[in-house]
Amino acid sequence: MSNRTIVSVENLHKVYDNGTHALKGVSFEVKEGEFLVVIGLSGSGKSTLLRCINRLHEPSHGKIEFLGKDITHLRGRELRNIQKQIGMVFQHFNLIPRKTVLENVLAGKLASVSTWNSLIGNFPKTIVDDAYRCLEIVGIPEKAGVRADALSGGQQQRVAIARSLIQHPKLLLADEPVASLDPATSNSVMQYFERINKEFGTTIICNLHFLSLVRRYATRVIALKAGQIVFEGLPTEIDEKWFKEIYGEEAMEVEIR
Amino acid sequence: MSYRKEFKATEVIKQKKEIEQQKNLIKAYFLDIFFVFYSVIVFQRAIYYKIFLEMDELPFSWGDILILFSISTIVSVIWTSTRTSLACKIFGIAKDNKITKYIVEIYSWVLFNLTFIAGWIVTKISIVDVFSPEGMKGANRIFTALFTPEFSIFDEALFAIIETIYLALLATVISLPITIILSFLSARNLMKDNKFTFFIYYILRIVLNFVRSIEPIIWAIIFSVWVGIGPFAGMLSLMIHTIASNAKLYSEAIEGINEGPVEAIKATGANKIQIVWYAIVPQIILPFLSFTIYRWDINVRMATIIGLVGGGGIGTMLIQYQGLAKWNEVGLIVIMIALVVWIMDYVSAKIREAIY
Repeated sequence: MSNRTIVSVENLHKVYDNGTHALKGVSFEVKEGEFLVVIGLSGSGKSTLLRCINRLHEPSHGKIEFLGKDITHLRGRELRNIQKQIGMVFQHFNLIPRKTVLENVLAGKLASVSTWNSLIGNFPKTIVDDAYRCLEIVGIPEKAGVRADALSGGQQQRVAIARSLIQHPKLLLADEPVASLDPATSNSVMQYFERINKEFGTTIICNLHFLSLVRRYATRVIALKAGQIVFEGLPTEIDEKWFKEIYGEEAMEVEIR
Repeated sequence: MSYRKEFKATEVIKQKKEIEQQKNLIKAYFLDIFFVFYSVIVFQRAIYYKIFLEMDELPFSWGDILILFSISTIVSVIWTSTRTSLACKIFGIAKDNKITKYIVEIYSWVLFNLTFIAGWIVTKISIVDVFSPEGMKGANRIFTALFTPEFSIFDEALFAIIETIYLALLATVISLPITIILSFLSARNLMKDNKFTFFIYYILRIVLNFVRSIEPIIWAIIFSVWVGIGPFAGMLSLMIHTIASNAKLYSEAIEGINEGPVEAIKATGANKIQIVWYAIVPQIILPFLSFTIYRWDINVRMATIIGLVGGGGIGTMLIQYQGLAKWNEVGLIVIMIALVVWIMDYVSAKIREAIY
């Protein structure tokens, strides 16, 4: 883990047009090579936070720096150039239906292909080779020609991971990547993130629900509650008291292995 | 530095909500004026003149209308400002109490009944006409002729109906590329982010709504004068209407897509055209195909109707024999139309099933 800061978020606010105040002054820094996990109840602002970092949403106030560059209000080509370097994996996989697994992985590299070539589906051989390599990393090279919507949930999420891997991202965002998978599959998908983090040194910011997964994979944890950071520290520091603080008095910890 | 300052979120939220409420209040004022004016007019003409005074010819003057409009405007503005009106309820800015609830319920009921009564009077519903002796005799004559079709014109009718099917097919196919382009330009989710594109969206919606509101039969009349009576006029009129109505259907399909893939592709840094091609097109290609086939089916039926006003094909033939009161020939034509429509309906349903 180097000491270079990859993402720095300062006093971040997000107010949606319907008046929802999703983030209320969030500040934190992420160092290169970290596996940062964000926990919190549904509606605590976790998803909004990730979508502000890769600027799918524009923050209402505050500042976000990516590798020392202020990206808070970037637009157009400059913004796409940043987004190109940040991968994202979603809870519902968000693969393109009716397209093959290979085409889905290639779609991760659209920003490096001219508009015309992408329209006629003409990707350079280096990129296609890279796509196969990414599919090998997630262990499903034999599925390259299969339609993406014909795969199981776990396999679909692995395609989604391959799609972000082909970007060679410096930062990988994962928005509850295992929330719609069964426990066994969840663990195997999380292991891919761990491998990407350790082997390629990719920084990962991941939203998670299950504390057992958090303790196993995170190098650092941030807890959000109603749009504010209520905990920041090591996964081992989350004890019973903090758990109730974050999830409310009624909450009970459930195990997932 | 500005971002270190205290962020006054409550003020931003309050501002956004106030703007929303003001917009809704303005809409409510206009809608209430319409509601009240409508009920007053309908009450005066349908209930007061027709039922109380039992007039046959209703008096009409713009002066009266203006007076009624002024009165109802004043009444409705006062009503809306108390926040107890129907429009306030519709736009979600009504007071939340029992009295408002009763007022809104009773008024909605009054509006519905007024409309129904007015409709009954306007339609001149008369059970007597249906069962009068001369009426029954006429019906009997037509039905007998229709059920004993004249087969000597079978060849002629066959050619005419083939013309109709091709005409409908061509109208559908030619309209397709234009429809696709227009549907992207009139999909709200693609056009709303930018002021310029939103302007295009808005104008296009208005134009399409206008064109669609003119029925194909009217277009056929226009084109039969423009390019002359015949199948070409029929094709043009169907094409225009197909473009306008399918552009709406298609753009609604675009608006209803799963936003997930769009978000995912956008997050990789792809540009707008790439997002459309990779995240949107694969999701809408099937609905588009399905709508188009269904539209061909509709167009065959419509082609028959517009044939009546000079759009060529079987419709033109039908109106000619009807004009000569040759009901046995008309009978054959009607049977053939029914048969073709039934087959088209079945085939298009089967194709659409197979696609999904």
